[in-house]
Amino acid sequence: MKKFRTSKGLIGVVLVALILIVGLFAPVFIPPEAATAMNMTARLSPPTWDHPFGTDQLGRDLFYRVMLGTQTSLKIAGAAVLMSIVIGLPLGMISGYAGGRTDNVLMRLVDTLLAFPALLLALTISAILGPNLQNTIIAIGIAFTPYLARIVRGEALRVAQMPYVEAARSSGTTDVMILTRHILPNIMPAVIVQGTISLAFAILAEAGLSFLGLGTQPPAASWGLMIQASRDYLDIAPWTALVPGLAVALTVLGLNMFGDVLRDVLDPRSK
Amino acid sequence: MKRRDFLRNSTALIGGSVVVSSAMFMPTALLAQDTPVTGGTLIWGHSETTQNLDIHQTGTASSSRVLQNIHNSLVTVDENLGVIPQLAESIDVSDDGLTYTFTLRSGVLFHDGSPMTSTDVKYSFERVKDPATGAVSFEVFNNVASIDTPDDLTVVITMSSVNAPFLSRLAENGAGAIIPVGSGDTQGTTPMGCGPFKFARYEVGNVVEMERFDEYWDGPAYLDRVLAREISESTTRLTGLRTGELHMINDIPLDRVGEIEADPNLQVVSWFPLNFDFVNMNHNYEPFQDARVRIAFDMIIDKEALMQGALWGQGATSPSAGYPSAASYNTDLVQRPQDIEGAKALLAEAGYPEGSLNIVFKATTNYPYHIETAQILVEWFRMAGVNLTIEQLTWADWLSQCWIDRDYQMTMMNFFALWEPDYLFYSVWNSTGAFNYRGVNDPVIDELTERARGTVDDAERAEVYKAVQQQIFDEAHDIVLWFRNGTIGAQPNVMGLDTVVHPNGSNLNFHKVWLAA
Amino acid sequence: MSLTYVLNRLLSVILTLFLITLVTFGVTNILPGDVAMMIMGTQSNPEAMAGLRASLGLDDPLIVQYGRWVGGMLTGDWGNSLIFRQPIAVLLGEKIAASAIIVVMSMTIALSLAVPLGVWAAVHRDKWQDTTSSSAALLGVSLPDFFWGIVMILVFARWLGWFPSSGFVDPAEDFMGALRHAFLPSLALGLGLMAHLTRMTRSTMTGILEQEFIRVARAKGLAERVVVWRYGLANAIGPVITIAGLQVGYLFGSIIVMESLFNYTGMGWLTYQALLNRDMPLIQATVFVIAAVVMLTNLLVDLLYLAIDPRIRLD
Repeated sequence: MKKFRTSKGLIGVVLVALILIVGLFAPVFIPPEAATAMNMTARLSPPTWDHPFGTDQLGRDLFYRVMLGTQTSLKIAGAAVLMSIVIGLPLGMISGYAGGRTDNVLMRLVDTLLAFPALLLALTISAILGPNLQNTIIAIGIAFTPYLARIVRGEALRVAQMPYVEAARSSGTTDVMILTRHILPNIMPAVIVQGTISLAFAILAEAGLSFLGLGTQPPAASWGLMIQASRDYLDIAPWTALVPGLAVALTVLGLNMFGDVLRDVLDPRSK
Repeated sequence: MKRRDFLRNSTALIGGSVVVSSAMFMPTALLAQDTPVTGGTLIWGHSETTQNLDIHQTGTASSSRVLQNIHNSLVTVDENLGVIPQLAESIDVSDDGLTYTFTLRSGVLFHDGSPMTSTDVKYSFERVKDPATGAVSFEVFNNVASIDTPDDLTVVITMSSVNAPFLSRLAENGAGAIIPVGSGDTQGTTPMGCGPFKFARYEVGNVVEMERFDEYWDGPAYLDRVLAREISESTTRLTGLRTGELHMINDIPLDRVGEIEADPNLQVVSWFPLNFDFVNMNHNYEPFQDARVRIAFDMIIDKEALMQGALWGQGATSPSAGYPSAASYNTDLVQRPQDIEGAKALLAEAGYPEGSLNIVFKATTNYPYHIETAQILVEWFRMAGVNLTIEQLTWADWLSQCWIDRDYQMTMMNFFALWEPDYLFYSVWNSTGAFNYRGVNDPVIDELTERARGTVDDAERAEVYKAVQQQIFDEAHDIVLWFRNGTIGAQPNVMGLDTVVHPNGSNLNFHKVWLAA
Repeated sequence: MSLTYVLNRLLSVILTLFLITLVTFGVTNILPGDVAMMIMGTQSNPEAMAGLRASLGLDDPLIVQYGRWVGGMLTGDWGNSLIFRQPIAVLLGEKIAASAIIVVMSMTIALSLAVPLGVWAAVHRDKWQDTTSSSAALLGVSLPDFFWGIVMILVFARWLGWFPSSGFVDPAEDFMGALRHAFLPSLALGLGLMAHLTRMTRSTMTGILEQEFIRVARAKGLAERVVVWRYGLANAIGPVITIAGLQVGYLFGSIIVMESLFNYTGMGWLTYQALLNRDMPLIQATVFVIAAVVMLTNLLVDLLYLAIDPRIRLD
């Protein structure tokens, strides 16, 4: 646990904890209307005592919006990453463990998907499915799956060659048993690390999709949506972009730092 | 508490209601002018990307705005929206309304130097009429039985039945644009006609360049060239104008118009109306089959506050979509004032008590102010016990879901202010109209709009259209919100801007525009 | 380098390219709506639209359309964009050239920042310099690149007025103008890239500095600066450039948003326009080209790596 005591580890842990707290508790203390209530006499107001982070083009309080937006962003990113793990994990494990033709076919598919930039993939899927919360999750989840499958496959390949797996196989243990008892626990650290880092990318992807109008729907508060709306008011009200931008930055920064440290802790090879 | 804040604050804004005349209002500085000089390249920051350049096919305002300068039409409209000849010299309509005889102007040249004759007119009209061309205005020629060309300068069109709006429809939307015989296939890439400017260059997404056509029949334009630079980001366009990179821009961001108007170093031309907006309810969706529900929804909306909120005051509310200065505009109508309690009662009476209606509102990101409108509506509808959920759609998705598949509950759209009443009321509200994407099916409107087509007397026709507007309003088939202003911002040395906006309010015409030293 | 490996690799690339055409074609045909609808907008009526659809060849069976597309590509006839009415081959040429400026420029910016920063961090491993450098790198990846874009517009175009905030200028017409217009989007992209590359440089350099020949060089009494830059970096630069090559895919994803933001009309902009307008032939062409470029750079990088370091396992 020494690794967590480096300044980077500390910052990462603090940031992630902070964001989780805000994400969990902001909706408890702030009523949902606070993020959508408009005030036409205070449009694009700079930060003041009443509105510590200023207001947007419809006079909505940016402090409330950014606080409530935390949960939206975390929910989407979390669900998308979970989805990519649920699909990518078995895919990668089977591919790496079975090898041969199965591996070849699966990896050719993964390669094909990897040739499309993740954002382009998410953009197209979102255009096909139509914009709403679930579809945003699906779009990001699918776009991230090939990356996860690739990593899992590599790990599974490595673990499958370990002597104790060979031993289990020669003693007649079924493949399903080997996969769940021996391989899965050994690749989990890598999956957790990759998951944390993917979470950071998923938050960026959600922001990107919302920015193009394909993600979260208004009037719900989401960071990407807030940045998108700020585009037209940049030069007269820069805070409308800076507030959600900083929220994204701190979250992703925290997750990345946390992920780095997690890797050092969980993955003995990276020492 | 927050809800009331919104209401109070927004109504507080309505103190001075916006007074807009249907004529253009111009900065006084422009009234004193020297004599025009020839020369110079005008750089115009165009708000949209130009696409298909075929004037007969394209239905997008962006392309028409540019093509207006390359093409001329057989007939056009004057400031009072009367149909006047353009490439025709005179028009003769037979008493039974079935035969139109056009005498063409002599000496009109196409950009390739060839003279325009009756065969070109016949070719152009037959091209539009042919469904295989995919022309937006093809139905204009539905009743046309034959197009004859007795000599080079005479065109005779015979109709199978009376179609009173025929001439005014010809003046709209490129229906009457004349292109040289055989040029149809190349119009999409290299448009050519007999307008004041020749097409020079098109760089996809960047620029359309036009140069003066010296042999233009109505006298050559002043400008050597017009460079339409495509800049879709509105704040970027504004910055370009501020830094002097651009001579003029169309569509000043709504929230910045006041600021630019106050700037002594820039001119603003604004005109009214550019387009109208209305909230649509799908008539095939069960709750909206009951007029009480539609009327209640109308009562939930405070149009003036909504206009201030979404348009930053750049428009004027209107109970009817009829063209404000047209003789057929129904001036007796008054928008329903906001009455949340009344709306709740009416909804309950119709069988929809508070909390029982959950409605998806589809709005397109193509018009950012539609998204703002929708967000404000959500708040009011919540107060009235109706749960509104917004779905943002790209333009393609809006067109395919709402326009073509009619798969929506509520949405909103804008149309360019259509001064031609048949085009407007028949297309949008007749049950068989081409733009009836709401599934409006009202026998009264069907009968009236059909009757108007056969009514040759103008005053009598105007009365029929007033009755149509009354019926639309009484039944709240749609909730008409407002007419939006059009705006142009320009450097002080751009002259002749009072002529740039076509009377139809959407096209720009650079024939009489010039640059002072 | 084993020849069979290279051949195998090439074969699998061709197979993947074929799969890409299938995926691209399949996906574009699931997209709701079509280009006839987009051309006519809210002025359409069913009969006219049917006519337009037929004249654009949208009514042909899918297998015919697919065959026409793949056949056309093989014979060099890429067809016309339906929305812009221009030959796709010409459009692609124009827009790839425009994007190439941004790709090269952002790579240059990223490498010239990342290499010194990464080396600096590796030399002072686990000291404050390391923390500073990796924090800076993390900050770079932590912001969405479109947010960097917005900040660039705000600072360099609006407030300082040093660079134009949008647009593309043809370098053949105005070379300096072209560079000035490409600079802000490149900088915004470069910052994100820089972050990845700094981390890579750091870890590669760390590994190299621990190796025997560096210890020998130090023992010989060579100045530390010479040891690090001449011996250390010379060995690290290969892998770093390889990694940079692998980022081309990431770059092509990012330019979609970035070019739209800066109104810079390159490949990213064209792809997005094609998608927005349901211009099937153009979507197919742009997406295929992007996927192919990504695939081929990856292949090139692989082979390069193999040529540099023959110890790589051939599996």
